Amino acid sequence: MNNTVYTMGIDVGGSYVKNVLMSYDKDSGNHQLVDKQTEKIRKRDPKDVAHDSIDMILERNNLNYDKDIAYLASTGEGEMVERKTGHFYSMTTHARGGVFLTPGARTVVDMGGLYVRAIKIDERGKVLDYKMTGQCASGSGQFIENISRYLGLAVEEVGDISMQADNPEVPSGICAVLAETDVINMVSKGASTPNIIKGINISIAQRVVKLLSSLKAESPISLMGGMGMNKGMIQAIEEVASENKKNEIQFLSHPDAIYSGAIGAALWGGYRYHILKEKSEKELVAS
Amino acid sequence: MRNINNIISRCEELAFDLDFTRAKEWKNEDKSRVIVGYMPIYFPREIIHAAGGLPVAIFGGGDRKQIIKGDAYYQSYICHIPRSIIDMALDKHFDNFDGFIFPSICDVLRNLSGIFRTKGFGKFVKYMDFPQNFLPEVGGVFYQDEMRHVLHYIKEINGIKVTPERLNHSIGLYNKNRRLIEFIYDIREKYPWRLSMKDWYHILRAGTVIPVEEHNEILEEVAEYVKGDVGQRQDKVKVVLSGAFCEQPSVGLIRSVEDAGCYIVDDDLQLGSRMVIGDIDATSEEPLAAIAHAYIFQSRYSSSIYDVDNPKEYRLAKIVEERNADGVIFASASFCDPSLLDAPIFQNAFDRMGIRYIAFQFSENINQFKVIKEQVGAFSDSIKLWEDEPSSIPVAE
Repeated sequence: MNNTVYTMGIDVGGSYVKNVLMSYDKDSGNHQLVDKQTEKIRKRDPKDVAHDSIDMILERNNLNYDKDIAYLASTGEGEMVERKTGHFYSMTTHARGGVFLTPGARTVVDMGGLYVRAIKIDERGKVLDYKMTGQCASGSGQFIENISRYLGLAVEEVGDISMQADNPEVPSGICAVLAETDVINMVSKGASTPNIIKGINISIAQRVVKLLSSLKAESPISLMGGMGMNKGMIQAIEEVASENKKNEIQFLSHPDAIYSGAIGAALWGGYRYHILKEKSEKELVAS
Repeated sequence: MRNINNIISRCEELAFDLDFTRAKEWKNEDKSRVIVGYMPIYFPREIIHAAGGLPVAIFGGGDRKQIIKGDAYYQSYICHIPRSIIDMALDKHFDNFDGFIFPSICDVLRNLSGIFRTKGFGKFVKYMDFPQNFLPEVGGVFYQDEMRHVLHYIKEINGIKVTPERLNHSIGLYNKNRRLIEFIYDIREKYPWRLSMKDWYHILRAGTVIPVEEHNEILEEVAEYVKGDVGQRQDKVKVVLSGAFCEQPSVGLIRSVEDAGCYIVDDDLQLGSRMVIGDIDATSEEPLAAIAHAYIFQSRYSSSIYDVDNPKEYRLAKIVEERNADGVIFASASFCDPSLLDAPIFQNAFDRMGIRYIAFQFSENINQFKVIKEQVGAFSDSIKLWEDEPSSIPVAE
């Protein structure tokens, strides 16, 4: 008898679709990340990207959706995923994903393509409180993507490049449009690419630290979402926090930070699978 | 049977046809026919039908009409629906309507009846008082007089004298209409994935602007459809949507609630079509007395009814229990006094009873639902994941 239950989590974001396959072993009670996939949406229909991504993961792992997947959970903008079993709100999934990737975290910061959200949680990943940035692109991963494109960099490179900075050029405004103008001026002034990128990271880090202060965030703080994989950003946040006399804060990160929403969705999906199974067994007994 | 998708898209077209094309076509088929527009919440449509008329619900322009002139008639702290209704009237959407009825639900609608009268819209404008005294010999008699006034106005136009036979026939048709509606609600309670609330809303609302005979045919087809094992079940919580009985939220809001993880298993969006619970006696020699009797003894609760002996919070709690709902979403139109004044009464009672709820406000023309979706998503997750713990949904500032 197979004691492994498979669940999938799909997180449709503003820029990427993130998809994970997770397994749960009934004997050991362990959850494991089996497979993962990130797809840039570009100009495609996110629904098609999501469906292709699900099929690819299934194929890669020789699994059949109807027979093998106990629960497909969507999150983010994933309501449009037709095959889903259920949908979870992105704050709930990032909280759970943050606890899975960085055990012990008491605050999870979801740093995504469109906004940053700080979420206070308990040890189980239950959301206790949250704060988020307004709908302004200057505090988001999309802003970094735009800047890296202007500078002719791949988005994966910006973390390492930022760490080479010696004299960061922080943009003056908080508005993405004005900041982009600032960057053009920096380039024409001859500022180095690492200093420009580091300056951008610092400007976003300042907003993140402000958000954490207003939430009265508890340590350890887990940095999740796409920007959570950017080493330069993590360094900038640590530096800004330290400048703000918040040295006692411990920041946690993980190379799979971009999957925190999808992982949380898959884990909650597994939880719901068991709850629903129990309920239907009880109903059967009652009838 | 027609294809369900064709039925739904036809209903959507009818429900949001701000020119009321089908009603006007119907009227043009016979010179004695009249169209009577009525405002929310409830009006006994049977009497208009018996008098050779078509009762047409007026729910405003929603998110499909830009308000330009209407803002000149109302202060900024008044709800949205009267402005869009005025705009529609001034832009001649109600041409060919013979009369307008304004049920007594709030001061704003009462004042709207005055504006219609001074502007000379239609051949008659009736501000219709509903009984607040629930003794048949007092409120019931008063209500019958109010209905006779309406019939008198119509007779002045088309000369049709309403007989008990005509009225009983009309009562029978609307009884069937309500039975079919409740049948579909009952199926949706158990299998809400078979027909989305968005589609069901279109079907329900279409029934307020077309002849009841046509709506009954549609409902029969929909009832047949939902009896089948259709649609894909999803892991969502069941909720009752309450408070949007007059100004209607845009369909986008209804869809957002569903997308955020909820099945809406009961609601008061089209309360007027369901106000009377069960049948009205269709064999009475005094059909007006039968309608009044049904209003007094078989009405649903409503924010515009002051029924002190039958507290509405317990009636809503009963609906939650009967529908096996996991919670309630209070959606009130901004500045809607009846709904907003009721909300704390409901919420205090639900806190005591342990019924989970969230509350937000909307206006008919909003098209941005991000905040509402987040609130509903957090609500749905709190039920799905922390069912046994007290509700504590963080609210965005």
